[in-house]
Amino acid sequence: MISLAGRDILHHWTKYVFTGVGLGLLIGVTLSMAGIYRGMVDDAQVLLRSSAADIWVVQQETLGPYAEPSSVRDDAYRALLGMPGVADAANVTYLTMQIRQGERDVRVMAVGFEPGRSGEPPFLVAGRGVERSHYEVVADVRTGFRLGERIRIRRQEYEVVGLTRRMVSSSGDPMVFLPLKDAQEAQFLKDNDAIVNERARTVANPGLNRPGVPGLLDALLASQTSSRSVNAVLVKVASGHDAERVAGNIRRWKHLEAYTWRQMEDILVSKLIETSARQIATFLVILAIVSAAIVSFIIYTMTLGKVRELAVLKLIGTRNRTIAAMILQQSLGLGLIGFVIGKTVATLWAPYFPKYVLLLPGDAVRGLAATMVVCAIASLVAIRVALKVDPATAIGG
Amino acid sequence: MDAPAIEVRGLGKRYGEGDAAVDALKGVDMTIAPGEVVGLIGPSGSGKSTLLKCLGAVIEPTKGFMALGGVPVFDGGWKIRDLRGLRRDSIGFVFQAPYLIPFLDVTDNIALLPMLAGKPNREARRMAVELLEALDVGHRAKASPAELSGGEQQRVAIARALVNRPPIVLADEPTAPLDSERALNVVRILNRMAEQYRTAIIVVTHDEKIIPTFRRIYRIRDGRTYEEAGEGRAA
Amino acid sequence: MNRRVVRAVGLAVLGLVLLTGFVLLMVRSGPLAPVRVTTAVLERGAFENAVFGIGTVEAERAYAIGPTSPGRILAVHVDVGSEVRAGQLLAEMDPVELDARLAASRAASARAVHALASAGAQVRDAEVRQELAARNARRYASLGERAFFSDAAVEAKRQEADSAGAQLQAARAQLDAARMDLQRLDAERVAVERQRANVRLAAPVAGVVTARDAEPGTTLVAGQSVLRMVDLASVRVRTRIDQGRSGGVRAGQAASIVLRSRPGFAVAGKVSRVELNGDAVTEERIVQVVFDELPKDFAFGELAEVTIATSRGADVLAVPGAAVHEQDGRRGVWTVADGATAFVPVRTGEASLDGRTVVLEGLQAGDRIIVHSERELRAGERVAVVESLEGMRR
Repeated sequence: MISLAGRDILHHWTKYVFTGVGLGLLIGVTLSMAGIYRGMVDDAQVLLRSSAADIWVVQQETLGPYAEPSSVRDDAYRALLGMPGVADAANVTYLTMQIRQGERDVRVMAVGFEPGRSGEPPFLVAGRGVERSHYEVVADVRTGFRLGERIRIRRQEYEVVGLTRRMVSSSGDPMVFLPLKDAQEAQFLKDNDAIVNERARTVANPGLNRPGVPGLLDALLASQTSSRSVNAVLVKVASGHDAERVAGNIRRWKHLEAYTWRQMEDILVSKLIETSARQIATFLVILAIVSAAIVSFIIYTMTLGKVRELAVLKLIGTRNRTIAAMILQQSLGLGLIGFVIGKTVATLWAPYFPKYVLLLPGDAVRGLAATMVVCAIASLVAIRVALKVDPATAIGG
Repeated sequence: MDAPAIEVRGLGKRYGEGDAAVDALKGVDMTIAPGEVVGLIGPSGSGKSTLLKCLGAVIEPTKGFMALGGVPVFDGGWKIRDLRGLRRDSIGFVFQAPYLIPFLDVTDNIALLPMLAGKPNREARRMAVELLEALDVGHRAKASPAELSGGEQQRVAIARALVNRPPIVLADEPTAPLDSERALNVVRILNRMAEQYRTAIIVVTHDEKIIPTFRRIYRIRDGRTYEEAGEGRAA
Repeated sequence: MNRRVVRAVGLAVLGLVLLTGFVLLMVRSGPLAPVRVTTAVLERGAFENAVFGIGTVEAERAYAIGPTSPGRILAVHVDVGSEVRAGQLLAEMDPVELDARLAASRAASARAVHALASAGAQVRDAEVRQELAARNARRYASLGERAFFSDAAVEAKRQEADSAGAQLQAARAQLDAARMDLQRLDAERVAVERQRANVRLAAPVAGVVTARDAEPGTTLVAGQSVLRMVDLASVRVRTRIDQGRSGGVRAGQAASIVLRSRPGFAVAGKVSRVELNGDAVTEERIVQVVFDELPKDFAFGELAEVTIATSRGADVLAVPGAAVHEQDGRRGVWTVADGATAFVPVRTGEASLDGRTVVLEGLQAGDRIIVHSERELRAGERVAVVESLEGMRR
C-alpha cells in the first residue's frame, strides 16, 4: 500500500510548505514563549549557580538577598565558620545600579565577592579573574564592556579584567563582579558631595564637635564613612552534613535567616517570577488554541477541496480507516513541517531577544508532541467531513 | 454459457416517504452475460443514474432482486455485508469525467485498487502497467494525471475500472467530454476489454455517436427498462 | 519522464538539505551544541608575583604643636606649607602675667644675692669680735693666775669670749640661710623663665607645616594643637593588604606606587616595614612603603595603589587562573580528551596579579588545558576549541 497522505503532500508540496511556514512562525512564537519562560527560570537559577553556595544566610525575617533587601554585619561570617558543618562562609553584596559607559547607562547588578571564595564567577569567556583586592572587575559580556576598559562605579575607577556570560540577576540585568570591599564601599558609601555635607553637619553639631575633647570629631567622622555590612553570607556545607540541619542551627543560634538551595530556588522561581510565568502560560495556551484552530481550518479546507477524489476513493472501495489515516497523516505532516520551521526560526531569532531565551531540547520534544496532538485533534473535523462524503456523488447526478 | 454477470429482476427504488415519496425505479429487469457490452440510454431524470448507483451497490434499492457475477446481492435487502469489498472486487467504475486522483501518478492511480485489495505494491503496479500497455497508454505510466489529454485520461480511467478484473464494469457517460473520433475509440476499447476479460459492461450514455455500436440496448423510461436490439455496428 | 525524475531528485535533495540544515542547526546551537572553549598549553617559565594593596600617603612622624597649658595664642608665624628648621619659632602664646612674675623673681633673686653678701659681712665681723674676745680672755686668764686681775674679771672676759663665739655661729648660720635662699630664688627664676620660654612654640624637627588649626586670639586647652607639621623624611604610604595575600611581603621588597593624582604613572619605592599590628576588622595587614625619591607634588591622605613584588621563580609551571575551577570540593582544571571534557585535580600554589596560578602537582609542561568556556563545564561534555571567545556579545 502506498502512503496517500505522503503522495498528497509531495504533490502539493508548495501548498504544504507555505502553509507550514505560516504555522511554523506561529509555532516558533510558541516555542520562543516557552523559551522566554525557561530563560526567566534560568536567569533566576543562574544566581544560585553562580553563588555556588549550599546555604544563604541573610538578615532575620527577610527573604533576602534577592527578593528582599538584607543586611548582615560583615563579621557574622566568623561566627558562622565556627559552627559545626560549615566548611566555608563568604560575604557577598548585591546592588543593582547604573554604570555609565560613554553615552549610555548600563544597568547592572554589582556583586561584591571575596576572590577565591564562594560567589565568584564560575567561568570566564575572556581575560582573568579578579586578583587584586581592589579596583578590578569581571563583567558579563552583556554589559558591553571590553577587556581593559575602565569603568566608574560610584567614586572609584575599575578595570575590566575578565568577561563572563549568562551571569544575570533575576530581572535579567548583567552582573559585574567586584572585590567585596569595593562593593561594600560602593553600596554603603555616598558620593563625595554627600560625604562632605554630612561631615559639615557633624562639624556644626556642638555636641559632637567639642573643643575640650580633641580627637572626638575625627573618630566620629571616620565611623560615619566606614561600612561594615554585607547582604548575605554564602555558606558551604562540609561533606557529610545535612544542609537543612546546618541551616536550622544557624537560624536557631545566630539570629539570622538561613535558606538552603531548595528554599532559595523556591523563593526565586516561585515568588519572584510567578506572575510573569502565569502570564506566559496563559499566552502559551492561547497560542496553542490559535495554532489548533489554524491547522484545523487548513486541513478542513484542504479536505473540502478533495471531496470528489474522496468519493472516488470510497467508490473504488477504500476503507474509512484508510481515508481517516490519510487526513490524519496530512495534518500531522503539516504539523511536522510547521514544527521544523518553527523550531528553526525560534532558534535563529532567539539570540536577538533582549532577555535570555532558553530553548530546551525537552521543550522542543514536548512542543513536537503538543503540535502532533493539536494537529490530530484539528484533523477530527476534516475526518468527519471526509467520512460523510457519499461515494454516490462520484456517479453523475 | 456461465451465469449472467448481471441479473436484475423487478428492482425498484423509492426516495422519500409517504406523500413525498418518489419512485425513481419502478421495476427494472435486465440480464447481461459476461463479455457483453450493453447500452443504457434514456432521457435525463429517467432513473439512469439511480439504476447505476443501485448496480454499483452505492445506494440500496427498495425492492426486487439483484445478482452480480452470479451471486445474489440484493433480494429485498442486501444479501452481503461488505459492499465496499464488493465494489472493490466485483465492480469497475468509469465516470463521465475520469476522476483520477491528482496526487498519484497514472500507474499508482490504477495500482491503488489492487493495493486496496491487499496485493503487494510491486504486483499491483505490474498489473497496472500491463493494463496501461494493453490500452496504449503504457508510455504515460509515470505521468501525473494532469499531464494527460482527455482521451488518455479516460483510458486510464478504464484501466482503473478493469484492473481488479471485475465481472462488471459500470461506465457513466464515458465519452461525454470526447469528440466522436475519441469517443468511438473508447467504445472500441471497452468492447475489446469486455471480450478479453469476459467483463460485462454497461455503458450509460445518450451520445448519439456511440449508440449504434451496441448490440443490445436497455432503454429506460419512467423507471422501467425496455430491452431493444442495437445496430451492433463496428465502432 | 525525465522532467519528473529531475523534479523528484531535486525535491529529494532540497528536502535532504533542509533536513540536514535543521539537524545541524539543532546540534550547533542551543543546549545541544558543543561548548566553545579556548585552550592553552602549559609551559614552564618565569613567574613573578606581587601583592596589591591600597594605601594612603602619610607621614610616619607627624607633630601636633600646641601649648602645654591653657592659654591664648598671641601670634602664629608660619603658614601651611611652610618649610621650617628645627627650633624655628612657629607661634607664640600670650604670656599674660609671666613677664611680671619673671621680673619679681629676678628682683628677689638679686635681693638674695645682697642678703648673702650682708650675711658674709656679719660672719666676718663676728669672727673678728670672737678673736678679740678670745685673745682678751686668754690674757686675763694668764694675768689672773699671777693675780693681776680678780677672778671675777677673768670670768667676765671668758664669758665675753664665749658670747662672741656664739655670735659667730649665728652669723655663719645666717650666711647658710642666705645662700639657700638665693638658690631657691634662682630656681624659681629659672622656672618662670622656662615657663616664659614655653609660650614660644618652636619646631621640634625640620619639616613642613601641614595644618594651621588655630589663629591668634584663640584660647586653647592643654593638648590642643596650633599647628601640625610633619617630618618629610618620614613620608610613607601606609598600605593595607588583604591578610590572605600578605604572606610573602617582607621589608626591603621593591614596590611600585601609583598615586591617585597621577593614574598610570608608577613611582618606585620599597617596603620599609611590615607592621606587627594588623587590622582585625578589615582583615588587612599594614605595610609601610617608602618612596625611593619623594615625588614633588603629593597630598597627605592621598590614595595610592601599591604593588609589591614578592616572589619570583625562574622555572615554574603556571596556568591561567581562569582555568582553575572547583569541582566537588576539589581544585582542578579541565582538559580535553577525545573532544570531551575531563577534570584533572591539581594542587595549586600562589596566584599572581596577572592572573596566573602556580601548579604544584597534577599537570606537566605540554599539557593542554581549557582556559575559557562559554558556560560552566561538566565532565564528559563535548567541546569545540576556538581561538577566542572575546567577540561574544551575549
